[in-house]
Amino acid sequence: MTLTSPAKPRSDSKRPLPTPPAKRRRFEATYLGFLVPALICFTIAITVPAAMGIFFSFTDSVGFGDYNLIGLANYAALFTDPAIIGAYSFTIGFALVTVLLTNALAFLLAVGLTAQIRARVALRTIFVMPMVISGIVIAYVFNFLFSNTLPTVGEYFGIEFLKTSLLSNPDLAWLSIVIVSAWQAIPSAMLIYIAGLMAIPYDLYEASSLDGASALGQLVHVTLPLMIGYIGINIIIGFKNFLGAYDVIVGLTNGGPGVQTRSIAMTIFTGFERGDYAYQMANATVFFIISLIIALLQLRLTNRGQVK
Amino acid sequence: MNFGSEALSRPLKRRSFIASMLATGTLTLTSCGTDDPRASIRFNQSKPEVVPYFRDLLSQFNSSQRTVNATHEVTAGLSAAFARNDPPDLGCLNYNFEMARFQERGALSDLSDLPQQKMNAPFIKQLLDLYPDYPGRTSVLPYSMMGASVLYNKDIFEKHSLSIPTRYSELLDLCGELSDLGITPIYSTFKDAWTVSQGLADYCVGGAIETNQHFADLRELGSDFTPDSAVTFSKAFTDPLLRMQELAKFSNKDAANRGYGDGNLAFANGQAAMYLQGPWALPEIAKTNPDANIGTFPLPMTEDPEDLKIRVNLDLALWIPEQSDHKAEARELLAFLCQPELQDAYNESALGFGVRSDSPPTKDPRLKQMQPYIDNGRIYQGVSTAIPRTIPFENYMQGLVTGGSVEQTLATLDADWARLAQRS
Repeated sequence: MTLTSPAKPRSDSKRPLPTPPAKRRRFEATYLGFLVPALICFTIAITVPAAMGIFFSFTDSVGFGDYNLIGLANYAALFTDPAIIGAYSFTIGFALVTVLLTNALAFLLAVGLTAQIRARVALRTIFVMPMVISGIVIAYVFNFLFSNTLPTVGEYFGIEFLKTSLLSNPDLAWLSIVIVSAWQAIPSAMLIYIAGLMAIPYDLYEASSLDGASALGQLVHVTLPLMIGYIGINIIIGFKNFLGAYDVIVGLTNGGPGVQTRSIAMTIFTGFERGDYAYQMANATVFFIISLIIALLQLRLTNRGQVK
Repeated sequence: MNFGSEALSRPLKRRSFIASMLATGTLTLTSCGTDDPRASIRFNQSKPEVVPYFRDLLSQFNSSQRTVNATHEVTAGLSAAFARNDPPDLGCLNYNFEMARFQERGALSDLSDLPQQKMNAPFIKQLLDLYPDYPGRTSVLPYSMMGASVLYNKDIFEKHSLSIPTRYSELLDLCGELSDLGITPIYSTFKDAWTVSQGLADYCVGGAIETNQHFADLRELGSDFTPDSAVTFSKAFTDPLLRMQELAKFSNKDAANRGYGDGNLAFANGQAAMYLQGPWALPEIAKTNPDANIGTFPLPMTEDPEDLKIRVNLDLALWIPEQSDHKAEARELLAFLCQPELQDAYNESALGFGVRSDSPPTKDPRLKQMQPYIDNGRIYQGVSTAIPRTIPFENYMQGLVTGGSVEQTLATLDADWARLAQRS
């Protein structure tokens, strides 16, 4: 593959910059045609329901019929409810562990798959496959593996810790969710890393090898510093996605054993379905604010990357 | 379709493009409308096992008269339908806490004037009284009841001349004896939390205490309930749940990895003597082993055989939302479904028990042993159906059989109940 150098040396730097066309300021109706449908859809499907949900979080509504405004009572109850606090601590802990594992493995895979190896494209395709399968399908397949295949293997070879399913171990069930979520999320992180790695100019490696850098030295002193922006973005996007964990958990443990693996999204959804509408709307509002903070963080990070 | 080449070569003008899109849209919309002059109503029934059965009944209904056309809805998202002010016109669903909160707030219309209400069997009243109704209303009409108790493998019991236990001590002896014979006493499927709560937990609690009274007391306390009240889950449930943990130990070794489907398969193949599932498991078991020789008995939790009771629930109850614009038409369909011969035929095919005072006893040999208990009103409603499902009771029970502490779990349950009582 040949890459054309994006920045051509300017032959005549004294030439004045072309003045922006005067037409640019003119209001172009075509853009409205692009903008308005999306805006209407977004408003109707996202903004309005969200605003309604936030409003109902200050009421005692069950989702239909009459309701009373009760101020911040739902929020006060929320912060003292061990079930809610439990869901938050599980989800945040799970998201942290998973995002670290996902990115470490995705980075290593990306480094491996950009190296000069045989069947590089075929391997990339194989590694990307989990990305195209829906989460609930992955979860059910792994559920079968954890509940049947591994215990059978454990019985056969007499391996004690494999004999009972990871899913039914109250202390370790969360690990199964980490493993499956990471397995599903690695490909997309890996693709971003591969793109990042391919954008690093080869001269840097040449120069460093002339200076006698080892492969490891190149990784630590050349690759990693240049990849830091990609790592930041991957971690923030990944963290945000894992905070919303739902389908994989439903398919694997459904929150069990006991309430060990109930995520925030699960608590909100089951609560709503089961008549705790206003209370879970308050929970959703808190969750929305947390997601918003993370999204703003991500935006700042991407903008800074662009300026650089 | 053939577009003229002229039209293709000409750049598509924005206006004509939009016009054509609009035209297509209008066309699609108008083609959705029907010329049927009959009032159209929506019938919601989502119990998966009997969807084909009701689909058939509905087509009979639609072809039998000229005024109403009913469509069959099988979606389960009832909360959302009520929230959108768009509930079905006639519902035929499991009567549980989810349902009850609609009636409590007056979302269901009054059905107390229906002639069918007078036919209710005497034991029905205690089931309807379990959930508070809107003042002055009877919001549902019972359609079918399920009775659940321990399923046991008659062949294993006969082969080893074991008798059905009627006291808790006898039950423990039986489990010990079976274990000594190398037979798994109870097949458990702890992976699916609901199987723990509706079977083991409901039988253990319902067989030991007066569940209905417990919840009536809790309701009376209302928002005054605290974990220190005179009636709490910790006070009432500790002993039964400790016994539940004792019994859970007699399960298959791999119970923690097994789910509902595995349980049906294993029990059908005679891999255990007892299985704590309801009658809904029987058709599944019959798929594997049509000749499985299965009987039922109530799980004894005390030393008094007089305390033996079986777990029941109103599997289907009919209701008509206040918001429906077609209440009269919905009542026509209700009357159709409630014809005794249709209702009895349904119960026979779905392994339910009749809810009218003149319903015939069950003909199914696997359910016959439960009939005397039902006739004498020795029934209770499962705890798992009396706790609002926003409290993850199923998960709590699953936690208990996988090593959790009864004391801690019940303290959590009390705290959950107090919080819920205060905000609702």
